[in-house]
Amino acid sequence: MTQPAFAAEVYQNQYLPAGGDVVDAIVTVTAGGTGGRATSTSAAQIIMVDCSGSMSTPPTKIAAAKMACSTAIDTLRDGVEFAIVAGTASAHMVYPDAPALRVASPQTRADAKAAVARLVANGGTAIGTWLDLSRTIFERSSAEVKHAILLTDGQDQHETREQLLEFLRRCEGRFVCDSRGIGNDWVADELRLVASTLLGTADGLENPSELPAAFEAMTSAAMGKAVADVALRVWAPAGSVIRFVKQAFPQVEDLTGRGTKVSERITDFPTGAWGDESRDYHVSVQIPAGALGEEMLAARVSLVSRDEVLAQSLVLATWTDDNALSTRINERVAHYTGQAELASAIQEGLAARDAGDIETATAKLGRAVQLAAESGHTDTAKLLGKVVDVVDERTGTVRLKQRVAGVDAEIANVRSVKTIRVTKG
Amino acid sequence: MPSEWRTSAGSPDECGSCGGTEFDNDNFCVNCGTRRPASPRHSDIDLDSVAGSSDIGKRHHNNEDAMGLAVADAWCAAIVCDGVSTSSRPDTASSAAAASGIRTMSRELDKVTDFDEAAVTAVLKRAVGAAQAGAALAAGSEVGPNPPSTTLVSAIVSPAGVTVGWIGDSRAYWVPDGDISGAGVLTVDDTLAGQLAAAGVTISDDAPNAGALLRWLGADATDTQPHIHTFVPDAPGRVLVCSDGLYRYAPEPTELAAITHTGTAIDVAQALVSFAVTAGGHDNVTVVVLPYTGPFAAPGSRPEPGAATVPQDADGTDAIEVAEVAPDPADRAGPPGNDAPQSPE
Repeated sequence: MTQPAFAAEVYQNQYLPAGGDVVDAIVTVTAGGTGGRATSTSAAQIIMVDCSGSMSTPPTKIAAAKMACSTAIDTLRDGVEFAIVAGTASAHMVYPDAPALRVASPQTRADAKAAVARLVANGGTAIGTWLDLSRTIFERSSAEVKHAILLTDGQDQHETREQLLEFLRRCEGRFVCDSRGIGNDWVADELRLVASTLLGTADGLENPSELPAAFEAMTSAAMGKAVADVALRVWAPAGSVIRFVKQAFPQVEDLTGRGTKVSERITDFPTGAWGDESRDYHVSVQIPAGALGEEMLAARVSLVSRDEVLAQSLVLATWTDDNALSTRINERVAHYTGQAELASAIQEGLAARDAGDIETATAKLGRAVQLAAESGHTDTAKLLGKVVDVVDERTGTVRLKQRVAGVDAEIANVRSVKTIRVTKG
Repeated sequence: MPSEWRTSAGSPDECGSCGGTEFDNDNFCVNCGTRRPASPRHSDIDLDSVAGSSDIGKRHHNNEDAMGLAVADAWCAAIVCDGVSTSSRPDTASSAAAASGIRTMSRELDKVTDFDEAAVTAVLKRAVGAAQAGAALAAGSEVGPNPPSTTLVSAIVSPAGVTVGWIGDSRAYWVPDGDISGAGVLTVDDTLAGQLAAAGVTISDDAPNAGALLRWLGADATDTQPHIHTFVPDAPGRVLVCSDGLYRYAPEPTELAAITHTGTAIDVAQALVSFAVTAGGHDNVTVVVLPYTGPFAAPGSRPEPGAATVPQDADGTDAIEVAEVAPDPADRAGPPGNDAPQSPE
């Protein structure tokens, strides 16, 4: 089938005052033309289901997880390799019996669903071991797109943070993983850590009944990926420093520390696999200040897959003594700077609240309410409303709620990185 | 002698910032990212009787001036373009306009058999049409809010006399070989101050917008018909075609004439450029020197500043041809077979 066509567009103010040396740009990358089904791309899919004992309280949780798994299996197109893993304090195979992948067909899908139906919830939670088993299984596959789903209802109790980080480090770059939490005991930071290391998305579900739809959405998005291992390649001039590279939409993802040097001037940042979708990146470069009237290329930002350039765009800098030009702030750059601040205000505010630092929590969450209102981020405003009582959203005056359901704070946290685009007035 | 034309337009081989010699497809240095300009920092073009010199000056980052020169047995011609520094990438507009304009001018002059004012005026209009097309195309396929723009001044010395055409504030001067009190400016600046002065009203150069351009060439230009004026001198002399980087230091015709010594055209051009650079070099400086050896008008003919009105007989249907401006200096020559020296230092 068709390879998607990639396009990259730059939004920036290229004019700098005399001595100005920082250039910010938003690069919007859009891939389209596959019709959402990339049948020419080989894909492998693993589903990791939490089978710890808590999944049976209430029993609707494990039932919903089984249903979600079955729905996801039905979404796999013929020819896709897949496996189902059950996660407790260790990981074991649900389907097939041995650590391997099976090719989706009416027969294997029926067998897998039968195996899922027999699942029982009993045991602990060690997410790292689940991921590690998935990595072992994926290693045997030559599929271009390797995608996993991790479903959990609890805290990662039966391994240390260091162990989890070590397992994640081994998995990084090997497959993409979306993480989802159900029930009341999952931890937003852990889900975000998994998703962000493995270039996937993290979310919490308010009700187990949402699971089948969520699994279907994740699986079909994965099946729609037509180009794997896409990197955001940034060329920056001699004497420059890449201050940061962040994905800014659909969620904030700081890629700065994850670059790989291709050459002295060129760094690749991982973006995972692409289907028909659009993402925004915020690139900030410090360059040697030029003379008035000089124009230079501050960065060349391209999307590459296996050294093939899919799209590229130029970030420019021109020095001027015209203040009207150099003081202009690009609307998109400002918007995403605000969205990134919103995300950290929520995360820091909730962390302060957990630590009992009421003053910091109130200030940070107040600022978050204000930023959400200013940018029209109504979903986030709604989530914040479950954690704080809003006195005045314009000034960011809030009071912490006395009684907050634990899951509301985790959902606000896990979704804090979700951004919205500039709405055209 | 077959006609010959040359232009200063053409990108330098080395990056002006780091000396790198590799550029990407968008003309940025692959080492330091500096944009490769469309013209070299300094150019000298010597076609014997006609010669020009162009220099970056002391303050500007690029040479945004460009020139084109052409010569044949019966005529010689020059174009000087000064990129508008408040527009984006002005060097691309001036170099494209000078290159497109001089090529068309040379080709059209070759076709003229009876040199009268009407024939030369028609050639000049066609050349400016080509220059405008070149300047407009310099904006690229996506025209930004402030596209590349340039001024243009041109002179054709022919049996019809001296025909000057211009848009903007670059100028042409007449400098007689003998008594320099007969020197004069042949153009009227397309600025508020220039147009008011031509109407007899003097305003201060410091008045708001006094020096702002009223007309230019480029993708956002609406009125691109040149002012055209023909003058028949009564004695031999030189026509100087120059950017404001020169005349800002000697605006009065007699001042400029006083420093225009006798000598070969290239010597005079270089001396005038170095005068302006020494005087401050605040802007890019470009001057082309064209000799006038007759025919002569009756004694007493004085150079008059050109009429500020646009000729009414503009036949806007003329086909316009645009020269490709090759970034490779090797392609910067005129018709094949001419081995005139190449200019950049």
